[in-house]
Amino acid sequence: MLQVKNVTKTFGGVVANKEVNFSVGKGEIVGLIGPNGAGKSTMFNMISAIFPPTKGEIIFRDLNIEKKSTNEMAPLGISRTFQNLQIFKRMTVVENVMIGRHIRTKTGMLKAALKLPSAKDEERKAYESALECIHFVGLEKVLDQQAGNLALGDLRLLELARALAVNPELLLLDEIAAGLNQKESKDMSKLIQKIREQGITVFVVEHDMDLVMSICDKVIVLDQGEKIAEGTPQEIQGNQQVITAYLGAEEMEEVKQGGGA
Amino acid sequence: MKLPGVQQTKWTGVAIFVGIVLIFPFVITQSFLLSQATFTGIYVIVALGLGLLMGYAGQISLGQAAFYGVGAYATAVLTTSYGLSPWLGLLFSILIPALLAYVMGYTMARLSGYYLAMATLAFGIIIHGVLVEWRGVTLGASGLYGIPQIQLFGMSLSQGLPYYYFVWTFAIVAIVICLNIVHSHVGRALRSIHDSEIAASAMGVNTGKYKTQIFVLSAILAGVAGWLFAHMSYSISPGSFTLDASIMFLTMVVLGGSSSVWGAVFGTVLITVIRIIVHELGETVPFITSDFEHVVYGLILILVIVFTPRGLFPPIAGWFTRIMKQRFRKNIEQTKAS
Repeated sequence: MLQVKNVTKTFGGVVANKEVNFSVGKGEIVGLIGPNGAGKSTMFNMISAIFPPTKGEIIFRDLNIEKKSTNEMAPLGISRTFQNLQIFKRMTVVENVMIGRHIRTKTGMLKAALKLPSAKDEERKAYESALECIHFVGLEKVLDQQAGNLALGDLRLLELARALAVNPELLLLDEIAAGLNQKESKDMSKLIQKIREQGITVFVVEHDMDLVMSICDKVIVLDQGEKIAEGTPQEIQGNQQVITAYLGAEEMEEVKQGGGA
Repeated sequence: MKLPGVQQTKWTGVAIFVGIVLIFPFVITQSFLLSQATFTGIYVIVALGLGLLMGYAGQISLGQAAFYGVGAYATAVLTTSYGLSPWLGLLFSILIPALLAYVMGYTMARLSGYYLAMATLAFGIIIHGVLVEWRGVTLGASGLYGIPQIQLFGMSLSQGLPYYYFVWTFAIVAIVICLNIVHSHVGRALRSIHDSEIAASAMGVNTGKYKTQIFVLSAILAGVAGWLFAHMSYSISPGSFTLDASIMFLTMVVLGGSSSVWGAVFGTVLITVIRIIVHELGETVPFITSDFEHVVYGLILILVIVFTPRGLFPPIAGWFTRIMKQRFRKNIEQTKAS
């Protein structure tokens, strides 16, 4: 479903991703992990066409998407959430989710201006689909509240509902569990599994290892921009290189700090 | 159709406003004030478009008077020199500004920030230059004479009561159109761009397209206002379509507030009142000339931006609803107590 081929991204002199290759199969839940600064978010931003890769190809359903603009992704079937919450704060919860239905509304400016019956009809349909997504994540109690007033847990759910409203084939979740407590994080795992049951492919960037190891079919590990491992959660947990990447960095830190003192 | 949690048009507000517009000429009968009220209707149409552009598309136009002028001149030239019906003139007063705005908006769509402000400023100056210098068509600085009146149901619409109602019919239709757009998915998409452009485009919102469309709509509204202005006046001259007029429209929107449709209407009415006061003072106080208006506009712009950047309408509307709610509550308590 999604193929990343030899993707390199440099920002000035900094190499964020270096010749990364992997693929995500239809109906899978795939996790992308790695220490801070490994280039996970950069990879996500390229897959959602926020910016193009410096080199390499990104192929979604036989279509090269690396040169497309951001707003072309949702119609293709790729939708995402943001680690640093990109909520429409001054809009209500349901209005936020209705933006997810935007690409399904064909009403142009003229029809909207004259409020033709077809425009009203579409508005009602968009509202109903938005409600479905809100019920799915369990935000129905706050649906008419200003999104800016929500607690963090609810904001994460709102991001998820909005991304689902697009009706994506591939859903990108960028640290959807960041800042959530254990219970919220568990609920989120269940939600993600429910989403997959609907036939949606899920690709997650995550720091929460419990979540990654419990739900992912496949895990890809990045370290300093390069892919160092790929496999099932069990394989990854036993992989020496991965352990060094995570723990080794800390040990090195300790050695350095020890040396300095 | 009620959709809880979705911003929708409050039609009672529209109804109350229509009521005020209908009754106004019976309460205030002086012909000077009636003609000022007619002008207010024309300006409201321009301010509505500029308000949408500023509040919803996040762009500033410093050349709205140019679209207004193109609309006025399009119909004036066609009806005087070529004998076209004013109703056919309306078509051109819509099409020509729309086309100009489309070409400008299309090239501007990828730019953000103040580029449109600068481009429209230049555009306004160019259009004014064209109106003055293209004597073969516009007859230059002295202006065009003999613009015919609009015929409606076999009646000639002359200045005064008929034209007041005619103008305000257009203004109210424009208000309803703007309310519909703001409360449609188009308006929602535009609001989402304000809060997070990146999330909006990840959801498939084509930000450039909507910015261009709103710009074209603002030009069309200004063009229609120009058409109304031309056929109200027997003559028009380039002096009505200068940068000063653009600044006046801008002041109206900033004063009222661009975050709601009513803000533009409110601001336009306030500025008209201020203009009338300045005019009246000018009769008695020697140093107040018509240029004094610009001093007032400058002062208003500074004060609003410093003290109430959202304009006057949102805080006043909020205050009014609070008072009404308190009254309502008191009434209930009193009835309970008794």
